[in-house]
Amino acid sequence: MAVVGARRPTPYGEAVAERLATDLAAAGVVVVSGLALGVDAAAHEGALIGGGCTVAVLGSGVDVIYPAANAGLARRLLDAGGAILSQFPDGTVPRAANFPRRNWIIAALADLVVVVEAAEGSGALITADAALHLGKQVMAVPGSVFSALSVGCHQLLRDGAGLVQNARDVLADLSSPGEVLDDPLAAPERFRIAEPADGSRDPLLRHLDDSLPGDPGVLARKLGLPFGDLIARLTRLELEGRVVRRGAGYVKVHGRGTSREESE
Amino acid sequence: MLATVLTSLVRGLEARPVEVQVDISSGVAGFFLVGLASGSVREAKERARAAIRNSGLRFPQRRLTVNLAPAELRKDGSGLDLAIAVGICLAALGLKAPGDAAFLGELSLDGTLRHVDGVLVAARGLPGQGVTDLVVPACDAAEAALGEAIRVLPAPNLASVVSHLRGEAPLAPYAGSLPEAQSPAPELDLAEIHGQEAARRALEVAAAGGHHLLMWGPPGAGKTMLARCLPGLLPPLTLAEALEVAEVRSVLGELPPGCPLDWRRPFRAPHHSMSLAGLVGGGSGMARPGEISRAGHGVLFLDELAEFEPATVQALRQPLEQGRVFLTRSAGSVAFPARFQLVAATNPCPCGWSGDGRRACRCTRAALETYRRALSGPLLDRVDLQVNVPRTPLEALGGEPSGESSSTVRERVLAARSLQLKRQGMLNASLRAAHLRCWAPLRPAARRGLERWATEAALTARGFHRAWRVARTLADLEAAAEVEERHVMEALGYRLAEHAG
Ligand SMILES: [Zn+2]
Repeated sequence: MAVVGARRPTPYGEAVAERLATDLAAAGVVVVSGLALGVDAAAHEGALIGGGCTVAVLGSGVDVIYPAANAGLARRLLDAGGAILSQFPDGTVPRAANFPRRNWIIAALADLVVVVEAAEGSGALITADAALHLGKQVMAVPGSVFSALSVGCHQLLRDGAGLVQNARDVLADLSSPGEVLDDPLAAPERFRIAEPADGSRDPLLRHLDDSLPGDPGVLARKLGLPFGDLIARLTRLELEGRVVRRGAGYVKVHGRGTSREESE
Repeated sequence: MLATVLTSLVRGLEARPVEVQVDISSGVAGFFLVGLASGSVREAKERARAAIRNSGLRFPQRRLTVNLAPAELRKDGSGLDLAIAVGICLAALGLKAPGDAAFLGELSLDGTLRHVDGVLVAARGLPGQGVTDLVVPACDAAEAALGEAIRVLPAPNLASVVSHLRGEAPLAPYAGSLPEAQSPAPELDLAEIHGQEAARRALEVAAAGGHHLLMWGPPGAGKTMLARCLPGLLPPLTLAEALEVAEVRSVLGELPPGCPLDWRRPFRAPHHSMSLAGLVGGGSGMARPGEISRAGHGVLFLDELAEFEPATVQALRQPLEQGRVFLTRSAGSVAFPARFQLVAATNPCPCGWSGDGRRACRCTRAALETYRRALSGPLLDRVDLQVNVPRTPLEALGGEPSGESSSTVRERVLAARSLQLKRQGMLNASLRAAHLRCWAPLRPAARRGLERWATEAALTARGFHRAWRVARTLADLEAAAEVEERHVMEALGYRLAEHAG
């Protein structure tokens, strides 16, 4: 199954991609994506959290990990028994023209493509198009009507793509009898949002907003983390200047140490 | 004829022996009471005279002098009645009182013995003064029998005491046995609380390390309910603790007759309008224990801390440091135990909405300043844990799962407490800086984290040690020998957000 989407998703899109991939991987599904920033990376991360194996298809040679920010992810993906594939010879640099061709490979490998946040004319829509040409299923996650990143997905839904609310929707279409949670808000008991060991960005940040304070109690319940662990991680992020306390909650601080600004 | 009878007065939680010396001599009939007797003791003369006559005994129509020794001890209350009357009767009969028996009780005019406060304190203190038998009003026998080292002789009235002393009808010793230790069910179970993860965790940590706790949140967030859960997370009282709790109640005359020993940890929640004397102890004449002593070995809950008089709050500091309170009154100075765990609660600001996010705070900057200054006293330096308790949204009350029950949490608490007692003989909340270096070694990453925080957040030395103590407790909850970085980080999370302005 492929999970594709925007390189600069909203926190919502990033969280959905991760959670969906986590639940699917835990149900035994192999998650395919493109190792790009944003939704792709969240999908690979999610699959690893779910204890599954995940496949990355590159628009460069397999020896040229792009973007470099995802080198750590690529390594962990391989360690977890996943694969990195490319149709391009070793040493090929990532050129813009390579990516639409790469997207066909992703569509071809997957039985089903789920699109999470795609602006009009984005690469994710090319993948969806390819999937339809190849006779594969296409599904989409709805988004906010205020977000430009929802336009692509909502167009797909209007055109008849299946609506994805949780992993069960996807598994029903794959007709794979896996055990998943119905409620995307319920705490997953079997896996935890892992803490990065190598000092890279804590995925917890994805679940925090930059204006509305996140209540740590609600967050702990949603993520299935013991409250004490969550507070320790939030305090660590506070010490690093990535979050600040506001009343009883925590908000994200922008503009320090994020790798979002890299070009595509 | 001279007779000497032993009795006792209670000072603080100490029993002071008092000798009642009665001399009958020829001369003009009269009744003289000497030896620093207060008004209530001088009235004993009239009660003793009536009680003796109405018990069918002879009141000597001669010169009667009663001396209460030691003379420098101020005599107070009606508990000396029985000893005075017994002394008069023995002197009239030409009998000696047994030197190893003490007599306590108030007399009514018909000779019936009535309850006196502080019997338990006397029963526990007098054996150390060589007393083996204690004659008490029948209604106080169960209370007196808690002092195991003494033989309790319950008596219904004066006549029965005199027949006992004449060898005609000996009083039967009280036969009740000491009540068995119990683990009473908690008054309020954590399982009844929905959501409130931060406060639940803070209560567990507070219970595990004996830390004082401040809850900070809007009205209606459930702070009182949460505080009421703390006694149920603590281990049941030991016998010694239960006896000390009972002694305080005995002095106040608040022990229920018949079942004097209560194994539940006290929970006291005085209102902020309470007087200083009511809170820490005092009153006119002899000082009586206050709320902080009634809360001994239990929880003192101060809701709306900022509304308490600053002087009242300051007066808590010394008892918090020493576990005892010293009260000086004209009648002498006494000490009461005051070993309580403090749980304080406060609104974030006078209007209650600061930091809530759903409604704007309407307080003026000046009002906020005053409010926060009221809360930043040295008292809070002793409060290791400070957590925000947000209002649970109404729609979530039904939907949020309630968490673990008190008994589940208490198992972890008991394990952590026994680790601490084995390691250092006290709970982590009592650890000073030197103790921490010895008993709470930090892993290198933990030390770096704490030091980095101290530098960047300008942590005071006290704040530094508070976090260290809490981290030690968090490690104990995991049975970890050394304090890890994650423990330090979590501990630093239990302090209040810095306030703008
Ligand atoms: Zn306000």
